[in-house]
Amino acid sequence: MTKATELAASASDHDPRVGLRAVAALRRLLEQLEAVQVRNARSQRWAWQEIAEELGVSRQAVHKKHGRR
Amino acid sequence: MFERFTRTARAVVVGAQREAEREGAGEISPVHLLPALLADPTDVAAAVLAEHGVTADTVAEDLRRTRRRAGLSDEDAAALERLGIDVENIVERVEQTHGEYALAGGGRPKRRRLFGVLDHRPFTSQAKQVLEQSLREAIDLGDRHIGTEHLMLGLLQQPGPASDLLAARGVDYPTARRDMTRRAAAG
Repeated sequence: MTKATELAASASDHDPRVGLRAVAALRRLLEQLEAVQVRNARSQRWAWQEIAEELGVSRQAVHKKHGRR
Repeated sequence: MFERFTRTARAVVVGAQREAEREGAGEISPVHLLPALLADPTDVAAAVLAEHGVTADTVAEDLRRTRRRAGLSDEDAAALERLGIDVENIVERVEQTHGEYALAGGGRPKRRRLFGVLDHRPFTSQAKQVLEQSLREAIDLGDRHIGTEHLMLGLLQQPGPASDLLAARGVDYPTARRDMTRRAAAG
């Protein structure tokens, strides 16, 4: 990295917009990843209870979010 | 509000519905409004965007990339990169196991069937805000009707992948608004 790009990079690290955007983006990515993994588990005949345990949430929560597809 | 829409603006809303359906999305979001806005190249909004090199083709390509990446824009990906997260790498890994466009996600179907006939796809709250903002834009510009140019200005004010990809191609709200004023002055 050149001095200039280093400076620009560290400036954007302090910009709340960049940090907050990253958090929001990560959340969307996480949601899609969860959907993919739950779908995969269901296709392998995993019970909602088993999926919930792995995700660390209640069976009701995971079923409400991903059930009836 | 819809009674104020011009014929072409209505066509955009219908086109967005079709776009969502084509994609298998449960709801109509701003990313479905944008390609619909560009469907007719002779239309005023499409013409303004074309001046900046934004066409149906470039948008289709940008949206394909966004969709594949769990709906994240280039700017979103760049923000994650600053944290050391390589989204492209994650997408690639997931697709290796779960197939192409695994992270694109159609979203949970929220279609409501009325009497088994009417197939109604709701707008996301972001898409509703675009429509509401387009009304405010029309009022602000002293126009009696809501046209595609107002939809475009509304879309540009809604944060998300649609306005991100336009910004990446040099079109933001102040730019488009200036373009519209210039066109109005030129008659």
